[in-house]
Amino acid sequence: MKLSNQINHDIHDSEPPPILGRWRNINILVLCWLAFLILLFYGFTRYFS
Amino acid sequence: MTPLDWIVMVLTIIAIPSFGLWKGRGSKTVNQYLLAGKTMPWYAMGLSIMATQASAVTFIATTGQAYVDGMRFVQFYFGLPVAMVILSATAVPIFHKSGVYTAYEYLEKRFDAKTRALAAIVFLVQRGMAVGVSIYAPAIVMSVIFGWPDRVTTLIIGIFCVFYTTKGGIPAVTWTDVLQMTIIFSGLILGLFTVVSLMPHGVSFADAVYLAGAVGKLNAVDLKFDPNNRYNLWSGLIGGAFLALGYFGCDQSQVQRYLTGKSVAQSRLSLLFNAMAKVPMQFFILFVGAMVFVFYLFIQPPMLFEKNAMKVLSTQPGYSQVQGRFDAAWQRRQKAAESLNSARKRESPAALTAATAEYRAAQHELDDSRKAGIALYEKSQTRGVLKPAAFNDTNYIFLSFVTRFFPVGIVGLVIAVIFTAAMSSSSGELNSLAAVSVMDIYRRHIKKDATDRQYLIASRLFTAMWGAWAVVFAQYAKYLGSLVEAVNQVGSFFYPVLLGVFVLAFFFRRVRGSAAFWAMLLGEAAIIALAVFTKVAFLWYNVIGTVIVVICGLLLSLVQKQTPASD
Repeated sequence: MKLSNQINHDIHDSEPPPILGRWRNINILVLCWLAFLILLFYGFTRYFS
Repeated sequence: MTPLDWIVMVLTIIAIPSFGLWKGRGSKTVNQYLLAGKTMPWYAMGLSIMATQASAVTFIATTGQAYVDGMRFVQFYFGLPVAMVILSATAVPIFHKSGVYTAYEYLEKRFDAKTRALAAIVFLVQRGMAVGVSIYAPAIVMSVIFGWPDRVTTLIIGIFCVFYTTKGGIPAVTWTDVLQMTIIFSGLILGLFTVVSLMPHGVSFADAVYLAGAVGKLNAVDLKFDPNNRYNLWSGLIGGAFLALGYFGCDQSQVQRYLTGKSVAQSRLSLLFNAMAKVPMQFFILFVGAMVFVFYLFIQPPMLFEKNAMKVLSTQPGYSQVQGRFDAAWQRRQKAAESLNSARKRESPAALTAATAEYRAAQHELDDSRKAGIALYEKSQTRGVLKPAAFNDTNYIFLSFVTRFFPVGIVGLVIAVIFTAAMSSSSGELNSLAAVSVMDIYRRHIKKDATDRQYLIASRLFTAMWGAWAVVFAQYAKYLGSLVEAVNQVGSFFYPVLLGVFVLAFFFRRVRGSAAFWAMLLGEAAIIALAVFTKVAFLWYNVIGTVIVVICGLLLSLVQKQTPASD
């Protein structure tokens, strides 16, 4: 099965994000933030237990 | 409640919808009423998405959950940021550019009318039940805490909510949500400061955190993989991501929020804002609950937090022994907590180890004595061979604490927060139910060529009708018993099917309408079988159900006679 043309057509959005230049960079920032929170909470759990 | 609390509560509850109606005035077209004329900025959409998801029970039950079970519930939200990133890159631009009013409208563009209708009906059934519970659940908690009649409480929440949602449409809902979330955040911060300030002399914030952690109340992350364990890192990341994909990508109550955006970029930002804010917010709420636990190390809590259950329990034979055991266990724990706190300050490793062991043993004994009380209460509720649902007073812990110990004025604010949270989630649900009823059912199947004004009137009427249904459902919800509990988990029964069909729509070009339609039905059957015949934790239904729908869709499309794509 091929990926739908629909998605290739639609995800092209010309408006850039207000910071970091590209949406890909914003997405990476969000995922890094999640990884940071999980590590922080894991450290929190270990330290206080 | 004191007169000042009443003033704060009433003013807050009246001010919020008034603000929403003022900001949302002038909805003259269906587009303005259901999509705010696509003018919303990202922060308003982001806060509205958050408010719609966070019901009143989220605030009162989550704090109670941390008191009883620690902070592991936060892992439930770990998949949410992943889902938001995926949706902001896929669903948001696709929905925006296809110019739809509802997510299910897109399914007809991609598949056919019957797939759209099936998805719309699945949504209406699921969300139609949930909207009644959104009103009923906080009402029943407040009726027990304050002795207010639950019918009056559901009517107050329902009438306010239906009024501003029907009149103002989604602009009123969104701007009301913005103010509600601001008040909710303020209430939570104030709540934490108040809890910490109520700690006895000699117990600092650092001491409180240490005491909570020593008995596992700060267990935020569990790395061990276990499919039967509801909350661990893996179920949260994988199951939670699928649940969030289904909820934010396929549930009209959420999709409609980001369809109101000025642009694709604004809608994307609203989801990514949620991705960054939601996990810390839930952590914070749970942390407040953990601090309430520490507070009750030094002030004795009731054995059961639900007043009515405690009254019944106190009349049972054997109560005095159970209560005596609970009192003794609490006193032992109090002494153990004080010893541990002083051992920590002396920095003596041997004393610290011994004090920690005694503190944990005392906590274990207290938990056992509370369980004995719960067992005695449940026994009193047994009628012949009919056993009641398992007793759970988690929802009452935080409100019981607030009403007993919070300062005058703040009690009123916290109660207003509960009311406004109930209204914000319900109003979003009502608006989306009306949108699907009008656009996917009325306009598509009943009256195709009406004027814009007629559809606007129909939207208002459907909002009022769903509001009336929600209030009536809430009035009778207490007679439905375990159904209400089931409704709370009902999303995991329906979202996988919706998510599966949208995955087929977005990513698999060759799949046609009939294959998608039957894949949805087969997927739903598989999820029901999973729930009936296995003990798999419900978060995993989202993963398994979605995969089954996608695989069935692909297989059926292979065996079916191929016809040209409708798109």
